[in-house]
Amino acid sequence: MSNFLFGRYLPGESWVHQMSPQSKLLLSFYFVIVIFFANNIASYAALLILIMGVIILSGVSISYFLKGIRPLIWLIIFTVLLQILFSSGGKLLWHFGPFSITDQSLINGGFIFIRFLLIIMISTVLTLTTTPLAIADGVQTVLKPLKGFHFPVDTLALMLSIALRFVPTLMDEMETIMNAQRSRGVDFGSGSLKHRVKAAVPLLVPLFTGAINHAENLSTAMEARGFTDSEHRSKYRIYRWQMKDTISWLVFLAVGVLVLGIRKW
Amino acid sequence: MQHKKSTLRLNLLAMFIAIIILQTSIPLIGYIPIGTLDITIIQVTVVIATILMGTLDGAIIGGVWGLVTFIRAFAYPTSPLAAIVFVNPIVSIFPRIMIAVVAGMTYKALKNRIAKRSVSVSVAAVLGSLTNTILVLGLIYVFYKAKAPQLYQINLKDLLPYLLGVVGTNGIPEAIFSGVVTPLIAVPLGNILNRRGR
Repeated sequence: MSNFLFGRYLPGESWVHQMSPQSKLLLSFYFVIVIFFANNIASYAALLILIMGVIILSGVSISYFLKGIRPLIWLIIFTVLLQILFSSGGKLLWHFGPFSITDQSLINGGFIFIRFLLIIMISTVLTLTTTPLAIADGVQTVLKPLKGFHFPVDTLALMLSIALRFVPTLMDEMETIMNAQRSRGVDFGSGSLKHRVKAAVPLLVPLFTGAINHAENLSTAMEARGFTDSEHRSKYRIYRWQMKDTISWLVFLAVGVLVLGIRKW
Repeated sequence: MQHKKSTLRLNLLAMFIAIIILQTSIPLIGYIPIGTLDITIIQVTVVIATILMGTLDGAIIGGVWGLVTFIRAFAYPTSPLAAIVFVNPIVSIFPRIMIAVVAGMTYKALKNRIAKRSVSVSVAAVLGSLTNTILVLGLIYVFYKAKAPQLYQINLKDLLPYLLGVVGTNGIPEAIFSGVVTPLIAVPLGNILNRRGR
């Protein structure tokens, strides 16, 4: 199963684990933006060194990162090939029909590969060191300024954490339903469009019914405990901005300035 | 009673978001692979949310789907096509919100004119699904025809027929699938919700 958010969290006490989720979230966005400014070997090298440092500080073995890349490797290769075969500019090296390879396109292909690698690495660091619920909490903190525009940030955050809480539950139920239908002889893996449609309906109806049941039970339970609105809730875990966050931001900002300085304008 | 309603709405929205997240990460219930095509069925969830809970809530669910697509296009793309096209939030998010808007308006217009509920749900689902396809196609065309995108220096003009072909061939079966399956799910769910006196 291709899973990019769940079941990936690894508990730990490392520097990255201890950072507050909101600053990890914002740093990831910032890092992705900086990646798009890099356009020569020196700037990509700076970013690669930075991400290696982050991986070491996260205390997670490198094999987890390689495992994260493996399902994507064909996709990355395909995109890089597209880039190499269909781009123009530079000295023509090879040409056939609509395809052409130039020295410029080869270099760009390599850069695209590194760019993919960097983005996958930073998002893997985020999901390996932060639980989904902490991420939802981070989203709430990051979006807080929107409260000024009467945007229901707290409701949204509560909704997101309930949703994230129930994804594994619904996944288990899905598994049960699939096994139940398999035992009745439903074949999910093959057949024509008509056959597939027929197989999908007995999966989706119980899944939705179950989800609606959860929603109703949870509403009753929440109200029995005095839930009125999501604005004035207290929190079990409070994530504070720490010295570690400040230091990390200073390092990332310095690398960002460096990349802007050494990139080809 | 008002509280009860708003808590239930919050939880229902949360469950739909959970289903969307589930559908984007598990192939069988989110995408049906047929030969080389990958047919999305997530728009069915968006249309069901629209019909059960209204256009606004459907649009929220559609927006969440768009957001997941958008983030995944960077961090964990589903296909090379997604990695190229969906990094533009207007292409990834806007069409998904419009699914709910179109399906909601259609359903509202037909609800009182057609006696059979499943027929109006089916028409709304087909139109919603087509909205997604046409808007994604149209926006790809608008954005990538003139200039090469920022992210990749690919000459997309050469690729355009291919891109449009892929999305187009997916769009038709997706619309048919939505039209058949959505009423089969939405009508019984609506009955369940009504029976409990929402």
